Amino acid sequence: MDILLACVKYFVDLGPAVMLPIVIFIVALILGQSFGKALKCGLSIGIGFIGIGLVIGLMLSNLAPAAKAMSANFGLSMNVIDIGWPGAAPMTWASSIALVAIPIAILVNIIMLTLRMTRVVNIDIWNIWHFAFTGAIINIATGSYALGVLGVALHAAYAYKIGDWFAPVTEEYFGLEGIAMPHGDSGWFAPISVPVNWLLDRIPIIRDIDINLEHFQKFGALGDPSIMGGVLGVIIGILAGYDLRGILTLGVQMAAVIILMPQVVKHIMAGLMPVSETAKSVLKKRFKNSTFYIGLDCALLLGDPSVVAASLLFIPITIFIAAIVPGNQILPFGDLPTIGFFIALAVGVHKGNLFRTLITGIIVMFMAIWISNQMIGLHTILGENAGQISAGVSQVASLDQGGSPITYILSQIMHNTDMGGLLIIGISYIFCIICTWVWHRNQIAKTTKSSHEIPSSE
Amino acid sequence: MKKIIVACGGAVATSTVAATAIRELCNKNNIPIEILQIRMNEIENNLSGVDLIVTTMRIKKDFGKPYVNGMPFLSGINVEETEEKILSYLR
Repeated sequence: MDILLACVKYFVDLGPAVMLPIVIFIVALILGQSFGKALKCGLSIGIGFIGIGLVIGLMLSNLAPAAKAMSANFGLSMNVIDIGWPGAAPMTWASSIALVAIPIAILVNIIMLTLRMTRVVNIDIWNIWHFAFTGAIINIATGSYALGVLGVALHAAYAYKIGDWFAPVTEEYFGLEGIAMPHGDSGWFAPISVPVNWLLDRIPIIRDIDINLEHFQKFGALGDPSIMGGVLGVIIGILAGYDLRGILTLGVQMAAVIILMPQVVKHIMAGLMPVSETAKSVLKKRFKNSTFYIGLDCALLLGDPSVVAASLLFIPITIFIAAIVPGNQILPFGDLPTIGFFIALAVGVHKGNLFRTLITGIIVMFMAIWISNQMIGLHTILGENAGQISAGVSQVASLDQGGSPITYILSQIMHNTDMGGLLIIGISYIFCIICTWVWHRNQIAKTTKSSHEIPSSE
Repeated sequence: MKKIIVACGGAVATSTVAATAIRELCNKNNIPIEILQIRMNEIENNLSGVDLIVTTMRIKKDFGKPYVNGMPFLSGINVEETEEKILSYLR
């Protein structure tokens, strides 16, 4: 027994960049991949971890001191770097919860489908990391693995319901028939857009404001992530009081971080492909007919011109909000190129109206930034456990998924440290969910009514 | 050598699925390709010498290059038609 435990300990102590390739190699072999392919998958996931470690190192060792200097110059406190989802996802995949998160999320899906609690067949395996993040944070906060697993299951169940509720929006506004978005991040803010819409519909004059601009696309070059990263680096360098050489260096470094991040993280996805493909085919074989929605990644929505325009607008707006959130310590960075994930579904609820999207988005970003501040401690431990940041040196945060109310509410319920925060976020968010549920019922009533009318008119 | 842009929201998840499928497809058909896997908002500045653009989301913008929607690689519906379409632009 002791020998077995010693073996397990040795294996775990190898670190995620070595342990996960071995796990994925074995899993891929079991799932019927050839030896060479399985080996490649395993190595690929290791490459992703080594790569993201390098990029996060580049970011923290250069951007963090600049952010500190900038904060000192202006009396701000934005010295914790937002590593974004490209940084948060690998940390989560390296956690001990992630290994079981995929089968648990699939199991919850199958149970809910069998009990007819959802119509979403989720084949988007990558985004299970969002549920795993919630589980991993709970695991760290409470020290209980079982509660962490429960967190994964609850978040997954909630995401599938979000998929159901907003499937009509996905179909009608985005034109994606038979597709739902049970997405751990894009999903959480969508309920906020529902009461905002309801309220704005009842204010004279304001309810008639409709901005459906596509003009923002002209600024396409500035929306290019490398340019955005470079410009941000230069601005932060100037505000930090660096000399010209320092300013330009930071600009190029931050452009490099923004471009290299997905280039290294994609290898993790490539390593997960055999697992993802098998899960997909199992789910599709069991649940195939038109009464189901296929659950896919919210990335599918980011091509819509209004989403593109809103994403561009929200780059400066998010930084501005970060400056005014009370007690904020986080410098938004890693999530900025894909800020569209935060507002994509809201654009659909608001039918492309940028004015309304702006209002929902401001509430969403305010909430996300405040929550991710509360998560800095736990998030940093997650990063240390993953071996991607060295203990005690720097702190990290992410808006996606560190800023999600569902992660915050679940972790605070299971390990309460801030009753006031839990009550305010909990009550306002549950209010939004209730609004969404009522709105969804009305929508369903409307569509069944209109589908009754069509045959009679023919 | 044909150059293909494969893009999605974050250049991590869905574009990796599509890029892997396209790479295998072209290997099978002996078409040498180079894949540029990027975010959607990087397409505009990477168009030179590109023979085909594949995105996993619907884009309403015309980049003036042959375009195929790669969503079937994710959903598994109409994969063969999409593969045919991609090959028709590359042959």
